[in-house]
Amino acid sequence: MNSAHHRSASATERRSAHANGLPSRVNSTRVRDYERPQVHENGSPVLSDHDFDNENGVKSVKYATTERRRERHTITTTETYGTRARRSPVKDAFSRDDAFSRKKIAQSPPVKRKPERELPAQSKPWAPETKLIPHSSAPLAVRITAPALRRDAPDTLGAPPLGNMNMAQQEVALLDDLLYVFMGFEGQYISFVEGYNPAEEKDRLLGPAWSILHGLDPSLKDLMESMLVMASHYSALEAFVEIQSREEYGSVNHALCAAIRRLLKDYLILIAQLEARVTGDASFTLHQMHLSVIPTAQSLAQLYAVAQELLRKNALLEEDVEESMGDWDADNIMERLKEGGDLLPGSMMKKRCIGGNVLALLTQRLATYSGDPAARSILEMLLREASKPYMTMLNEWLHHGAIKDPHGEFLIGERTSIKREKLDEDYTDEYWEKRYFIREKEIPPQLQAVKDKVLLAGKYLNVVRECGGVNISSKMEHTPTTFDDPRFLDNVNHAYSFANQELLFLMLAKNSLRGRLRSIKHYFFLDRAEFFLYFLELSASELRKPQRSVNIGKIQSLLDLVLYQPGSIAVNDPYKEDVKIKMNEIGLVPWLMKIVNVQGLDTDNPDALAAEQYRVPASATSVSKDDNEKDITGYEALELDYSVPFPLSLVISRKTITRYQLILRYTLSLRHLETTLIDSWSEHNKAISWLHKSSSRRVETWKRRAWNLRARMLVFVQQMLFYATAEVLEPQWQKLMNTVDLLGTDTPPSSSHQQSRSNTSPQSGLRGGFGNKQTVDELMQTHLDMLDSCMIDLGLTQSKLLRIHAKMVTGCTMFASYTSNLTRNLYSADPDFAFLNAPPSSSTNPSDAKATEAKRETILANYRQYSGGGPTALPPAQDEARMARIEETLVRHEEYFNRHLRILIDTLNYYAATETVTLLGLCARLTNAEVQKRDDLGAGGVA
Amino acid sequence: MPREIITIQAGQCGNSIASQFWQHLCLEHGISKDGNLEDFATEGGDRKDVFFYQSDDTRYVPRAILVDLEPRVLNSIQTGPYKNIYNPENFFLGEQGSGAGNNWAAGYAAGDRVQEEIFDMIDREADGSDSLEGFMLLHSIAGGTGSGLGSYLLERMNDRFPKKIIQTYSVFPDTATGDVVVNPYNSLLSLRRLTQNADSVVVLDNGALTRIAADRLHVQEPSFQQVNQLVSTVMSASTTTLRYPGYMHNDLVGIIASLIPTPRCHFLTTAYTPFTGDNIDQAKTVRKTTVLEVMRRLLQPKNRMVSITPSKSSCYISILNIIQGEADPTDVHKSLLRIRERRMANFIPWGPASIQVALTKKSPYLQNTHRVSGLMLANHTSVSSLFRRIVVQYEKMRKRNAYLEQYKKEAPFADGLGEFDEAKEVVNGLIAEYEAAERDDYLDPEGGKSEGT
Repeated sequence: MNSAHHRSASATERRSAHANGLPSRVNSTRVRDYERPQVHENGSPVLSDHDFDNENGVKSVKYATTERRRERHTITTTETYGTRARRSPVKDAFSRDDAFSRKKIAQSPPVKRKPERELPAQSKPWAPETKLIPHSSAPLAVRITAPALRRDAPDTLGAPPLGNMNMAQQEVALLDDLLYVFMGFEGQYISFVEGYNPAEEKDRLLGPAWSILHGLDPSLKDLMESMLVMASHYSALEAFVEIQSREEYGSVNHALCAAIRRLLKDYLILIAQLEARVTGDASFTLHQMHLSVIPTAQSLAQLYAVAQELLRKNALLEEDVEESMGDWDADNIMERLKEGGDLLPGSMMKKRCIGGNVLALLTQRLATYSGDPAARSILEMLLREASKPYMTMLNEWLHHGAIKDPHGEFLIGERTSIKREKLDEDYTDEYWEKRYFIREKEIPPQLQAVKDKVLLAGKYLNVVRECGGVNISSKMEHTPTTFDDPRFLDNVNHAYSFANQELLFLMLAKNSLRGRLRSIKHYFFLDRAEFFLYFLELSASELRKPQRSVNIGKIQSLLDLVLYQPGSIAVNDPYKEDVKIKMNEIGLVPWLMKIVNVQGLDTDNPDALAAEQYRVPASATSVSKDDNEKDITGYEALELDYSVPFPLSLVISRKTITRYQLILRYTLSLRHLETTLIDSWSEHNKAISWLHKSSSRRVETWKRRAWNLRARMLVFVQQMLFYATAEVLEPQWQKLMNTVDLLGTDTPPSSSHQQSRSNTSPQSGLRGGFGNKQTVDELMQTHLDMLDSCMIDLGLTQSKLLRIHAKMVTGCTMFASYTSNLTRNLYSADPDFAFLNAPPSSSTNPSDAKATEAKRETILANYRQYSGGGPTALPPAQDEARMARIEETLVRHEEYFNRHLRILIDTLNYYAATETVTLLGLCARLTNAEVQKRDDLGAGGVA
Repeated sequence: MPREIITIQAGQCGNSIASQFWQHLCLEHGISKDGNLEDFATEGGDRKDVFFYQSDDTRYVPRAILVDLEPRVLNSIQTGPYKNIYNPENFFLGEQGSGAGNNWAAGYAAGDRVQEEIFDMIDREADGSDSLEGFMLLHSIAGGTGSGLGSYLLERMNDRFPKKIIQTYSVFPDTATGDVVVNPYNSLLSLRRLTQNADSVVVLDNGALTRIAADRLHVQEPSFQQVNQLVSTVMSASTTTLRYPGYMHNDLVGIIASLIPTPRCHFLTTAYTPFTGDNIDQAKTVRKTTVLEVMRRLLQPKNRMVSITPSKSSCYISILNIIQGEADPTDVHKSLLRIRERRMANFIPWGPASIQVALTKKSPYLQNTHRVSGLMLANHTSVSSLFRRIVVQYEKMRKRNAYLEQYKKEAPFADGLGEFDEAKEVVNGLIAEYEAAERDDYLDPEGGKSEGT
């Protein structure tokens, strides 16, 4: 197709040659024509509307290598060509080995030409010289200084003025000049405008403007204008390619430059062809030249526009300054500083347009010019070429989880300062959330929709690699290499699902996420509470102490004892050594209150403060010392800590553990209260003063009421506990486990991949279940949501509920712990025990006395037992006063309980209506459990 | 492991029930007939240590003390299929081997003689446990050994282990067809100890048991074994929360404490559904078992394992439903609301009125056709009617001075028959307590005099 086009192009040339009626020329033209195809086959010939297929791409690589080699040659060869005849620079070049010559066309003529021009006038100070300049970071940049300016040249070198020529002569002179100008050099009549300085980078990037000497025929001048614009574009593009190929502009820019450079090469071929026409075809006119460069001029204009836009974005050309300030990314700067101060001048202070932004720019232009076939094919080509290095990075990331991005162009960035070792004290999931991030401003539009998938795919792979060094990577075969590949999105999706499955497999099968979760459930939800109750019993003496004086080591060893005791449920748990005792300095309710209050202040921005909230209570004890910092007991301070290894710590993070701890402490407080009340029950059932059927009705009545109050409290606590466990924790837990189970089988996804590919075995059916939409991130979220809804349903997020609940618990605890006191008082209050205080031998009947004495002994023994080694003798009986006092005490407790229970139920009703329906269950439960005649209760409360 | 329970099985009836009970536990925990763990039962998530301990050769041995004064039942246990699981040192057979002859006094008097040996066993078992929760006494109250010796043990145990829970499973005689003539005497005397010395008494009524067994198993005359099977099912169900720990009710005291608000009213009735015989095909009717269905059936009098005649005013003091199987908490909640709406259960007017529910697993090793099964432990005031019947029968006999001679021969009655009167007084007091509990003014019998303070 290429060659066909050119044949037709040359055919027109021939025709025009015939039309000129110069047979001698015809011959020579024919000779040229024979030579030409040689040239065409080597390069992708003349410009614009060619499709660049893969073969071409391969060729271009070849070019690149040969060119580099050639460049070095150029410097040496330039001198040798120094004395060549001036009139045929291009032809000379062409007559040589063609592959060798093309580069020279670009560079040799000026060098050649100037000395040649100077030679006749050696005496003048005009001594332009060409120097080698040091390497810039752009490997293909021109390494010689710009040629001397024409305006500096002495007039003696000047060409005959145009005014002295006729129009035909002018045309011939200009044709010759134009060939130079097209290559970016000044001619004899055409020169840079005043003020253009080729040493100035900015001027070069904008491209020179040309001025033509006076005396040119206006018609020719008009014809020249458009061609000169093309020449300017060419120069500008040369400069662009040179500057944008510098290292700091990143591989996408480099690729773009390479593509542009290839187009410029084609442009030079066109110039070479034109030269051949100019020299060989006397009938070749300026008009013909104009016609033959029009398509090329358009292409160059398009390229120029792209380049200018890019340069402006890159702040190499001026644009609105204030806009660039928005690009400050403090995080980025810190990151770069940490990485070793790679503060590139162009990358930090100025805004940069590299990587994704370049692609974005091209894509945008492509969309704008989609109606222009020529522009479109150029832009498509540029985009395709420029996206190749980006695609390589993308594939590397998607399939290996690696970032090979020395220029920071990729849409995913990595903060290497965040180490996984820090996960243990990481309360904010920093590792997971922040280690890899999306550079929001540098996303190519093609990836915008799937950016999260891209991020996650690589992130998952990294996680999988980091735990245990398993090197997994999806197969790289058939991966697209450019953005316009139709499999582009498929590639991302495949990589994503692969990585997702790998990580899930890693968590579920290799690290047995389910087992971990179950283990956590044992310790934090206490779904089989027996071991923990035993632990509480063993460590009761320690836990009764104030929090500060609790011996944690001792308690820890007791816990271990319980956990390792054969026969315990916990003994089968493989993770029991991860459980540790911890003492919190703050009671549960104050802590929760703090959290609730913080949330109340800043509901708009829950995420930002989430980290703070959960950390504050641990460290802010000093701040809160002044408010209710009464020393809490070991029971209230007790909590468990659980360490989870990577990578499960991503799902079971500190954030979730903290929530687990809160839930544990809540249920623990209820359990402890239940135990105390049960102890109180035991005392009611075992102590003689309670069991004895008193002859005093008053005492009996009092006892009944005390029993009843205790029973009500016990029922209350047990209902709370039942609600918390059976209606909140367990169902929520089941929901979570269902989600986890949905994640699928424990077979490694990679193996099932192969199996399902090779044969449609039952495995593939399983895979179908596996390949659902669940991701690890969603799993993490589900887990967190589960805990949050547990907390909400338990009423741990409402300060009012918390307060009233705390009061209820305090009331019950007070009463329960008051039991032994009541027991003691009962001995003295009950008139039936009055004889105990009588002198032993007061009775007249000796046998009676003996029996009484025996009874007295048993009762005293019993009394001592319950008064905890108190006084060995009973206190004197003052039944009336004592009775009145304990009656009063009991009434106080009853009233307290009634009042607060009522408030609690009302509050629950309110929150059940406004917050969560689940509370309604608790509400109904408590109401039902209450005394059926509520009026009677209410009256008691009022009195 | 903590919270062990030592089972004391006394007398012919107690030992028969207990041997069924142990068989049942072995099946539930996957323990083979020689005490070894079955291969399939290595990962159960259950706690065998409550009722068993492991011997040096890792066999599971019941924490059981088998006491009888006559050799027949003990011999049959020692020759039965599960003979190897018991600790041979824990068999106690009365020295004469003659039994107590259905005489409470004889059993009680024998207690005085043999107590040392028995308490040696008990102490040994108690020392072998880490944190003894309490004792379970299995006996009948009508015979001689179970009631007499049992009563003696109850009294002594209170002194020896003052802080341990003592729960008894007491089989009450069928008051309609007493096969032992003197059972009212024996019952009354035992009842006094049950009232004063036990923390909780699970009342099992032979009459009701026979009726239920006949009903459910579709046989005219259920054998003792079938009745005992029923009892063992109830017993194992009532201990599931201990053996298969869940969120709550993981210790005996917790269960009892919620059931028994006032110390004296500690007689619990049971109901179990659905009950089917394992070996009788026609009894294995498949029916839909939902939580509501189970809870509703549990409240039906015909499923109650005690023949009590509730009066209009009688009511529940407390209820604990142990639901085994796949029970959805929301179903439980709905059922509770439904029961309340329809007033299926009357509660005492003065105290907390709730049906407590404990959700537990089923043993994974037992094939069960039912999705859900349930046991109700209830504290019902009408249990006093049972006591009243006993007192009435006692009074009838006492008036006639029937069969008193053999009692007078024994030590407790050496000083006269005062023992009978004391017992009657205590039981009457108990009945009065239950009746008082039915009234609104239970807490305030004097009409608000104390309320004024």
